[in-house]
Amino acid sequence: MKTVKKVDARRKLEGKAKFLDDYSYDGMIYGQFFCSNSHHGIIKKIIFPQEYDLSQFIIVSAKDIPGKNIVPEPECDQPFIAEKEVFHFGQIILGVAHPCKETLKDFIKNIKIEYKELPALADTKETLKDEMNSFGRKIIIDYSKNVKPKREWIHTHSVYYTPHQEQAYLEPQGMIAIHNQEQKTMFVKGTMQCPFFVKDAVEAIMGDKIKEAIIETSEGIGGAFGGKEDFPNIIAGIASLLSYKSKKPVKIVLDRSDDMKITTKRHPSRVEIDTYTDSKTHKIKKINIDYRLDAGAYQTLSPVVLSRGVLHSGGGYACEDVYIKGQLYKSNTPSNGAFRGFGAPQAFFAIESHIDKIAASLNLDPYEFRRMNIFRIGDEFPSTQKITENHLFDCFEKVIEKSDYHRKIKEFAKFNKSNDDKKGIGIAIAYHGGGYTGNGEKVLNSEVKIVIEKNGVVKVFVSNADMGQGAHTTLAQLVNETLSYPFEKTIVQIPNTSKTPNSGPTVASRTIYIVGNLLRKLALKIKKELQFENLEEFISNNQEYFPKEFRMHFVQDPSVIFNEETYQGIAYKDYSWVACVAEIYYHSVTYTIEPKRIWAVFDIGNVVNVKIAEGQAEGGIMQGVGYGLTEFFYKKGYGRMQGLTDYALPTSLDIPEINVEFIHTNSDFPKGLGEIPMHTPAPAIRNAFYNATGIFIDEIPLVPERIIKYELLKKK
Amino acid sequence: MEFIKPNTLKELLEIISTITGEKYYFAGGTDINIQIKKDIIRNGKIIFINHIKELNGIKEDENYILIGSTTTFRQIIESKLLNDKLPFFQKSLNNFASPLIQSQATIGGNIANGSPTADVVPLLLVLDGKLELISNSMNRTINLKDFFTGYKKFILKPDEIIKSIFIPQNAENGFDTFYEKIGSRKALSIAKIAVAGLKKVVNNEINEIKIAVGSLNEYPRRLDLIEDYLLNKDLKDIDFKKIRIILKEEITPITDLRSDKDYRFEVCLNLIKKFLLKPDSG
Amino acid sequence: MKVNFNLNNKKVSIDVDPMKRLLDILREDFGLLGTKEGCGEGECGACTVLMDGKPVTSCLVNACHLEGKTILTVEAIAKEPIGKLLIDCFDETNAVQCGFCFPGFLVSSYYFLISDGEQNLDKIKEALSGNICRCTGYQKIFESVMLACKKKQLYSHRFSLIHPVR
Repeated sequence: MKTVKKVDARRKLEGKAKFLDDYSYDGMIYGQFFCSNSHHGIIKKIIFPQEYDLSQFIIVSAKDIPGKNIVPEPECDQPFIAEKEVFHFGQIILGVAHPCKETLKDFIKNIKIEYKELPALADTKETLKDEMNSFGRKIIIDYSKNVKPKREWIHTHSVYYTPHQEQAYLEPQGMIAIHNQEQKTMFVKGTMQCPFFVKDAVEAIMGDKIKEAIIETSEGIGGAFGGKEDFPNIIAGIASLLSYKSKKPVKIVLDRSDDMKITTKRHPSRVEIDTYTDSKTHKIKKINIDYRLDAGAYQTLSPVVLSRGVLHSGGGYACEDVYIKGQLYKSNTPSNGAFRGFGAPQAFFAIESHIDKIAASLNLDPYEFRRMNIFRIGDEFPSTQKITENHLFDCFEKVIEKSDYHRKIKEFAKFNKSNDDKKGIGIAIAYHGGGYTGNGEKVLNSEVKIVIEKNGVVKVFVSNADMGQGAHTTLAQLVNETLSYPFEKTIVQIPNTSKTPNSGPTVASRTIYIVGNLLRKLALKIKKELQFENLEEFISNNQEYFPKEFRMHFVQDPSVIFNEETYQGIAYKDYSWVACVAEIYYHSVTYTIEPKRIWAVFDIGNVVNVKIAEGQAEGGIMQGVGYGLTEFFYKKGYGRMQGLTDYALPTSLDIPEINVEFIHTNSDFPKGLGEIPMHTPAPAIRNAFYNATGIFIDEIPLVPERIIKYELLKKK
Repeated sequence: MEFIKPNTLKELLEIISTITGEKYYFAGGTDINIQIKKDIIRNGKIIFINHIKELNGIKEDENYILIGSTTTFRQIIESKLLNDKLPFFQKSLNNFASPLIQSQATIGGNIANGSPTADVVPLLLVLDGKLELISNSMNRTINLKDFFTGYKKFILKPDEIIKSIFIPQNAENGFDTFYEKIGSRKALSIAKIAVAGLKKVVNNEINEIKIAVGSLNEYPRRLDLIEDYLLNKDLKDIDFKKIRIILKEEITPITDLRSDKDYRFEVCLNLIKKFLLKPDSG
Repeated sequence: MKVNFNLNNKKVSIDVDPMKRLLDILREDFGLLGTKEGCGEGECGACTVLMDGKPVTSCLVNACHLEGKTILTVEAIAKEPIGKLLIDCFDETNAVQCGFCFPGFLVSSYYFLISDGEQNLDKIKEALSGNICRCTGYQKIFESVMLACKKKQLYSHRFSLIHPVR
């Protein structure tokens, strides 16, 4: 475990690093969207404001699309631009461009639109209750043995809800498109996670008008968290269309309120869990899970989110009889998309809350009950995949020890007897499968490239973006450590689809786990092929041999077989594990939960850069704290949050002390880390609140307005 | 939108005595900028007043502490004079908005914005703050509690502006003080409920009591009926059921994006209780 | 409207719309791209600069506010000794993630170091509470500023010559 300094840090600190809005090109004009303010309606008429000279504006609608008006996604059902009917608030109806930003804003503000309004579903809870609203797609994991519940088994049932969550990357979404007429290419620069997704999207919308789309990320990507996985496709597509029509470079940078209004969010969920637990042995005997996600108006990538959610919904517990059903629901809200965790945080909130409920009904400490049922070697996931290590158990025991759980349980019980304010402590455990689900990585067939230059610079080419997670530092480390080469001379290149091979998207906790390990293999191959003692000397002694290019494709371990029909088999080759304890203070006067401390112990395999890994964990935990306590996007009857004033992100004063540790780090290779920190804080805090007050709340965020309803009920 | 920048106070008063139509006094700009961005303010005249010296600064006379209307919250928080004379007032504003907004937002703006959530108003109400209003033709001083007449409405005449805020020198002396603002997070938050209170308790009897609340009515206000009920009462004899009933008459909390009416009501009641039962520590 | 002010230790003068935001003036008229727009509502702090020595969100400051004022942006602060010290500390702890909010954090931390500088976690949290970071969970930011306070005290003689920020 080594820590080198991040390669991008100094330029960012000095304000020199260029983010998307910091680029400009000769003749560049500005683009924006005109979006629907109806949840569901047929467009009758669009009236442009008369006080403007229309000829000065470039306006594109669905009719201007030379290629296909369908965004390439796992499910191709969403148009770039609405045609006659809008299916959600914030759906793009027009792309508009003009040389002056202010004029453009004013013009768009003054466009009038008339709809024939149609019935709409905008309330998530209502949507998810009724199976009529399902898209029809179903995933079933049938690990049931049709065991009849016995009399001494305790039945526990609950329905858990989680809300939308806004990624709130600090840099809003943006793209610049430049059409080259002679070469018939479209160059797009942007803030994005997946350049090759954007390439597919731009080539789809432009059809035969271009031969190739070349996509490059900006130097700095101001946070993404999944929010810049698929929505950039739409922005890039429309920016390209505007550039094609205007024959000028077009920059679109979303205003924060537009960004919040129209881009993807975390899927709201409804998870219903039924369990039977043996009251004597305290073993969970039977689990039935109904897992539902509100996909929004279109399915887009939601089937993949559903798949991961379902595969993680059983939690880290052994049970011989499990039945899981997953479905996507349709509502008239913007399509939901990727957000750190990808269906798993919803699943773990439900199962981890439920575990505390069972423990309470057995009159057991949640620690004891978890210890009784937690995965151990030889147990199986509901997908029949075998558990081959006790690392979840090790994380669990370690975090209990670190947090001084047992002492605090006693101490807090004593405190709570004599105080109106309460103290509480809660546990949650989770796992995250690294890389694409099932056979996904095989299909992706990622490729990486290393070029060793004459001057000794080792250039690393991958399509994975560094959006702050430190990928370009850690990937360089994996290469230079294998080659025993100076870190400063190992440079990961800015992703550009015409120069970097397709090593897949920057998602699914796969960058270090899949791409990093692949790069390390390639470096080993280089070492073997060149047979050098010291690469620096080798390069200077064999100048004629360089520059030299090396490439390698990902090869899936043949033992990894997953049946996508039955959901049986190895869903993920490697899992990362986490156990978390949260300590809270409950203010009875204001019904407010103050998170005091969070401990999290992870197994993510070999840790490449400790400080970067800690930073990832701490950041993910903070997003989990916000998810559990303050962040909500819609409030029934009051629409959506319009900006960062209304959407309460945690500030420096709201964040608890966070204590992170990694164990089993002497492993051969690193596993995924990006998403797993998000899974446990919300349920751990919820469980801590339950421990403090005895109030069982099955929904987040735990805002005081929600808590008071339970408190008032208790008083009655 | 038309932008007007008078050079002096005199010029400012002359201008506003003649112009008609919608106008906005522009000082720190932390709120008006957002209203323009959100299209709430579309037309009208923007009158810039931030540079007018007579409107800025903190000083004292024999009886009062005087705070100019364009004095920023940072000036207030960092003022030595306020630290000496009105430490409770000063300390309570430490948590105003954020350290960055504090540098720019002004006390006059916080009042004249007319928002029910204005942080400074409940504090000034319990400190018996006064406003000095000036126009081309007259000067008058009014009690802050008489300033508001409705949601974003006040008695300011079209040609009048707030020149300064007066707080009695001894406003905090000998009082047990209380201020709590409840938002959705600890910084950068807009109050869902704010309660400010001053009390003097002698031999367990309430000799003096002042309570003001924010975010619970169309504008922040003193709870006169509750004060009447509490005055001269022995702390032991306070009937909180009775206070609950009176409070229902005095506050009209609403449900909106930020909070719910039931929550606002109950927490207001809890805070009043906390204030009254708080050990007398000064 | 013509405005004269001091920008990063140079006298400047421009003729602009009186309501133009300082943020846009810096980025568009002076090409100072280090100051970022995250929300445009004063809520995120990515556009923090010092105005007359005090931290402000430049998205809520307008041209009309600037007459006679002194503005320091991240570009100038990064060259000051205390700014450099902070950058070293942020770098050392690997605190920076996406970096979009960091110019703002640098300015707020800089103000804390010159106006107080006590190695006190609660004070640091207060001082940074107008700047939102979505990546880091703040822990490494606190660690960096604590470290900078410590180093500033240890090597105070080195920092005695910086010219005071008005």
